[in-house]
Amino acid sequence: MLAHNTRTAFAIFSKRPYICQSCLRRVGKVPLASTRALAATSVRALQTDSEPLPNDGAPFRKLLKDAAKQKKKQDRATPSSSKPSSKGKDARLEKWELTVGIEIHAELNTARKLFSSAATSINETPNTHVSLFDIAFPGSQPHFQKETLIPALRAALALNCEIQHKSSFDRKHYFYQDQPAGYQITQYYEPFARNGSITLYPHDFPAGACPENVPITIGIKQIQMEQDTAKTVLQPPHTHLLDFNRVSHPLIEIITLPQIHDPTTAAVLVRKIQTILKTVNAVTAGMEMGGLRADVNVSVRERNGSSTEHGQSYHGVTGLGQRTEIKNLASVKAVEDAIVAERDRQIDILESGAIVEGETRGWTLGSKSTKRLRGKEGEIDYRYMPDPDIAPVVIGDDLVNHLRHTLPMLSDDCVNTLVDSENYGLTSKDASTLFLFDDGDRLDYYFDVVEHLRHTFPGHPDILARVGRVAGNWVLMELGGLLKGEEWSENRVSSVQLASIIAHLLRKQITSRTAKLLLSLKFDGDARSAEQIIADEDMLLRPLSRQEYLDLAQKLLDEKADMVKDIVEKQQHKKVKWFVGQMMARSAQGTVEPDSAEAVLRELLQLAPMEQK
Amino acid sequence: MSLLRHAKQHLSNQLKYEHLNAFVSLADRASILTRAESADASPQGHNVGKHSPYGRLVAIKDNICTADLPTTAASGILKKFISPYDATVVERLRDAGAIIAGKTNMDEFGMGSHSAHSYFGRVKMEGLEGQEKSAGGSSGGSALAVATAQCWAALGTDTGGSVRLPAAYTGVVGFKPSYGLLSRWGVIAYANSLDTVGVLGSDIETVEGVFDTLNVYDPQDPTSLLPSTRSCLSSEKSLWGPLRVGIPLEYNIETLHPGVRKTWTRSLDLLQERGHTLHPVRLPATQHALSAYYVLAPAEASSNLAKYDGVRYGSRAEGSDGTPESVLFAKTRGQGFGPEVQRRILLGAFSLSAQAIDNYFIQAQKVRRLVQQDFDKVFKACNRLVSRSFAVEETGVDILLCPTAPTLAPLLTDIENQDPIHEYMNDVFTVPASLAGLPAINVPVSIADEDRDVKVREGGFKESAGMQIIGQYGDDKLVLAVGKELMQAASERHDHGT
Repeated sequence: MLAHNTRTAFAIFSKRPYICQSCLRRVGKVPLASTRALAATSVRALQTDSEPLPNDGAPFRKLLKDAAKQKKKQDRATPSSSKPSSKGKDARLEKWELTVGIEIHAELNTARKLFSSAATSINETPNTHVSLFDIAFPGSQPHFQKETLIPALRAALALNCEIQHKSSFDRKHYFYQDQPAGYQITQYYEPFARNGSITLYPHDFPAGACPENVPITIGIKQIQMEQDTAKTVLQPPHTHLLDFNRVSHPLIEIITLPQIHDPTTAAVLVRKIQTILKTVNAVTAGMEMGGLRADVNVSVRERNGSSTEHGQSYHGVTGLGQRTEIKNLASVKAVEDAIVAERDRQIDILESGAIVEGETRGWTLGSKSTKRLRGKEGEIDYRYMPDPDIAPVVIGDDLVNHLRHTLPMLSDDCVNTLVDSENYGLTSKDASTLFLFDDGDRLDYYFDVVEHLRHTFPGHPDILARVGRVAGNWVLMELGGLLKGEEWSENRVSSVQLASIIAHLLRKQITSRTAKLLLSLKFDGDARSAEQIIADEDMLLRPLSRQEYLDLAQKLLDEKADMVKDIVEKQQHKKVKWFVGQMMARSAQGTVEPDSAEAVLRELLQLAPMEQK
Repeated sequence: MSLLRHAKQHLSNQLKYEHLNAFVSLADRASILTRAESADASPQGHNVGKHSPYGRLVAIKDNICTADLPTTAASGILKKFISPYDATVVERLRDAGAIIAGKTNMDEFGMGSHSAHSYFGRVKMEGLEGQEKSAGGSSGGSALAVATAQCWAALGTDTGGSVRLPAAYTGVVGFKPSYGLLSRWGVIAYANSLDTVGVLGSDIETVEGVFDTLNVYDPQDPTSLLPSTRSCLSSEKSLWGPLRVGIPLEYNIETLHPGVRKTWTRSLDLLQERGHTLHPVRLPATQHALSAYYVLAPAEASSNLAKYDGVRYGSRAEGSDGTPESVLFAKTRGQGFGPEVQRRILLGAFSLSAQAIDNYFIQAQKVRRLVQQDFDKVFKACNRLVSRSFAVEETGVDILLCPTAPTLAPLLTDIENQDPIHEYMNDVFTVPASLAGLPAINVPVSIADEDRDVKVREGGFKESAGMQIIGQYGDDKLVLAVGKELMQAASERHDHGT
């Protein structure tokens, strides 16, 4: 019987490909400490690095711009007749005030799951990283992985939260096939972070979309840690496949106060939180990768406040209208569009004299309106209960202080530094663009270029004052122009080489045309140093003497007497520029400076000197 | 007697008492004999101490995971479940050379006091003239397997008395250690803030031997007491000096069976004769303990049993389950769980619901704290989980002595038509120590002949009442020592023919 049973056990065991054998062994036998080496911590980072994230990072501006264009087109197409025009809408928005609170779920960047030593993973073979506890095997127990606190704490600190000395875990009960235990472990009664805030500055908004009342500060009620669910893969018509790799991946849920009154602000806020989380290395992927999901609470109330006697109160904010919750928005654009749609729906209801029902709604990308999922009577009672198997988490001040001091510079601090510091002096638009590009790699590159240049011109305050702006222009515009959608790489033109090119330019040793040529040579793979190319190709600006300028100019003027006539008699002064161009074209590369050429020409033509630019 | 002969005896008893339904599954007989034989032959086998599990048969309650035998928790939903791993306590027993005898019958998921709520049929204890009596629950199979010598010792689990009550009904020693001493990794949770692995044996030495084998820190169990905390607990209390024995007056209830009450008095007398002093104490919160327990335990159960959905393991209802709107396993859970489990899940889901949690779950937690503080007030030693101080309250008591159950084992026919509340009443004396996480032991003390039913006495049946010794948190060794002394005193008295 023993033998028989053993065989059965093994047979059953081998028929269960969904349990990671190594995870099983690990959980079953090996003490935690000795398993460290097994977790391939770099796997996820590598994966996210190598995969360009579509619609992630910079294109947000583009999305907003495109949306604005689209809207303009629509407005033009439907002149103020049939549908409620934009004017009509504006009038409605003057009467009704929107209020939004957001809950953002973000997957933390950790090597292990929240309550087991199984590794986290993104695109690995389904059901290969699953411990006994992850799939709720009888008799298994949670093992809190305290390392998961580190990215969570970084996120909370970056969002100005108060870290709670003691926090604890609770069970949130609901039945669903992607929830193996029948409950999700979360922090309901005692979250680890409270009372944070985030401030939106002009540079956070896309051009032209910035509201008047910036900076806007939105309160963050709390941040809690919780488990992710399994992934359900639909196989039409009737099959649901379950991948438990994702089960118990650590998430944080960030809950804002209902202090947002504009859909764009909501979108910008989500975007900014996403950027901050990435900057402090708290999360793995972008929102569109499923690494970040948002639920929004939307309500509408009359601005004059005549109907506040039945006002609702959420998170201590009082006098609000009945809210609805729109769940599972997976992109920044979805957040904005869903809020607009829900706001308009609620205003329609209120204007028709009906009342808004408290309910949970859904929204799919591209749709015009939100869809009812379940009403109040269908609300789930989650029966929150403290988890008796998980000890409270006590976080020491030493850890918090260490993380606070080692936190990477945040976007606001960084953008402000780039704008305000005399070392950089960028426009706020350029600063935030630089910050958003390439996960901050472009910014690091820029800092390097500036650093090299500062070392090149120690005793030249006049040049040092321009270094930051000129470098910004070259990194963003000139280099950006060459990239043309190619993936960024700091090795294409090293920061030393770009600094060298810019230094030559600033010393007026080369013309800017030469500088651009140099840059494109280096960009296309010329292995020689900029210095070498300049020497080899004899590119140094060898200024002509005044006599040489005069001779060259006179020769040209003599050749084109008719044009001289136009300039002198018909006052067509712009034609001077043509002569400038000719002078440059006829002399060796980089020997004629346009300003000097024009001055000489004007002198010979007896025109007024150029206006000072 | 050799280990092999003991094993053979146990195996023959397993056949003889098969009809009592103490086991859900038995280990292979041939391999048990082989292992016992090789244990005898090994060098270790020659010097096996009386307390060592080496080469001896230990039965395991069927809610403790074993990789070689099914682990069903006596539930339809796990009727064919085989765990992919051994519980830590099973692993430790195997490492100590114990032979697993089989998996014992129980109340489904530990919910019950008579081991009658089992998917595999009820556990039956033989009474007079073929009567069938309750073996107690929920570890009734383990207790009965020990009482009928189908094994040397058995593991049970005790959530509100599930080791002590069946030990009392079947007349064996049943020990529930302090919460957090024995690993729960691999023990199927019923109410995990209360669940404790317990040990059953025919004498204290056996129980202590198994307890010592299992009493180590296990990093797999997040509630396992850390080595640093363990070292704070090991107060080597003088077991030889006179002890202050507390008599909790609240336990002297009206409905206490006269035989039980007289045995309690006699036991107190026996300890006094041995030089210990007796002190009446009050535990006022005790009267609310049972209600609090039956709010908290079902609440945790409703949560712990949410995982059984037939999706990843366990049995699944035939045909398609659920509706397009509902989850996929309503039917599976409806069919897989027995009525008592369903009742407790519903009770628990209610007491955790938004409308009821304040009045039920939260109140019950407050009562639980009061019960623990009651105990702290009467014990001489302070509770070292609460306070780090070693200060002693000289007027306090060292241990408490009270009955384990208000009655002797009832007839199965009598409990058949009882309402559930009546069944819950059996736990009234065991629940307080569970709520406070304290060590408590049941020792059988023979009922004096003059207090016995004539028919039973003349039928040659031995009859004992279960006496419970409760100690302060961490005083497990003291509880065992007092249990040993009481059993010795009682048997000496018995031998002298009083």
